[in-house]
Amino acid sequence: MAQESSPSPPSRPLPRRGLERLDLMLLCMEALDFNGGEAMVWMSGKMGFTNLFPNRVELWKRRCYNPLRRAYRRGELESHETDALIRILCEMADRLYPMLRALLSAAEKVEMRQRRWELFDDRLAQLMRERMNPRRSGVRQLLDPELGAAQRRRLVQGLALGAGVGGFDRLKASLMDPVS
Amino acid sequence: MKQTLRYDQYSCQLMVEGLPDVSVGQSSNAIGIITAWRLAWVGRPELEGRREHLCALMGAVLPYARHLISGVSRNFGEGDQPVTIGPGEGGDHRLELRSSQPDTPPLQICLDDAELADLVRVLDQLRMDPRLQLGLPVPIPEPLRPRELLDRIPLHRRLAAPVGGAAALVIAASLAVLQPPPAPAPGSAAPSSSSSEASRSPGQKSARPATDGGTGTPATTEKP
Repeated sequence: MAQESSPSPPSRPLPRRGLERLDLMLLCMEALDFNGGEAMVWMSGKMGFTNLFPNRVELWKRRCYNPLRRAYRRGELESHETDALIRILCEMADRLYPMLRALLSAAEKVEMRQRRWELFDDRLAQLMRERMNPRRSGVRQLLDPELGAAQRRRLVQGLALGAGVGGFDRLKASLMDPVS
Repeated sequence: MKQTLRYDQYSCQLMVEGLPDVSVGQSSNAIGIITAWRLAWVGRPELEGRREHLCALMGAVLPYARHLISGVSRNFGEGDQPVTIGPGEGGDHRLELRSSQPDTPPLQICLDDAELADLVRVLDQLRMDPRLQLGLPVPIPEPLRPRELLDRIPLHRRLAAPVGGAAALVIAASLAVLQPPPAPAPGSAAPSSSSSEASRSPGQKSARPATDGGTGTPATTEKP
């Protein structure tokens, strides 16, 4: 028998840091795909999560549990909701894997790679300024051109390594890490 | 009856050959017994081996990838394992393969992030393939322990807060000790002076000049 999606860790809510990273990774998907928001809603329906996220507003409300957001909702997400968001993220990362790979590949020409990163960083910064609370130190650090570069690369690397069905367990385990 | 599973990514291709295990009733398109596998890289030597080598490769690479997602870079598969992977220079990843053939030096392959992601994807495709009806022992990803996450923070950053706090405490305590004691109030000085008078011998004179009544002018001292 092929190894099925291994049993998930015990159902418990994502910690605060995990929620932050999950939303930031979803934001990275939107930075790579201009229609990323629409794609997320479409993916949610295609994967059978319409009962959890019947429309874009419900999806947006779940993402607002990220403490870094301007419109931050207190509370915790249910584990089945975070599982659904992680599965959507893995599927989107799988769909955009060529773009993730192009950002990470050392075989690309340096100028081309730099240009790709500039486009990605600009788009990500624009989305962060629109949606995140700029007074949070985590947001400021991520927006910093130099200090945030390594962190942005780690987000893209995490997406590439968590893309696809096989990446769900890895990504979820990482988001459940106890501390940042 | 021999089946071949093939998984392609940008930089590598994984092929697994095998046979169905008819003793347990597997279908003809299933693989229950792996006879050989090959991993072809662009511009690198092709890897091949037996089932245990494939298990060792998955057992090292997949946990390494999981830890990388959490920002933790460390070696996996050390010791007598045929496959070892760990962080290399310049952010690359070093994959070392030790052959079971005698007198064969270990093969070292440097992978960048994209090539590592390709390798992880082909291994995932293999283990998630329903045609592969064979248990492959891969560790289940679990949340890391706080100790493992602490190691990814540089030592000087970890020590900055406790050292800074201890230094602030020492400085504050030193400043408090160096402060001169407050001068005693006039009313509270009398009991201490009478006690000091009583402790002196009868022949000794008080060093304090006697004052005249209430005028405050010093009176002439008696000569012994």
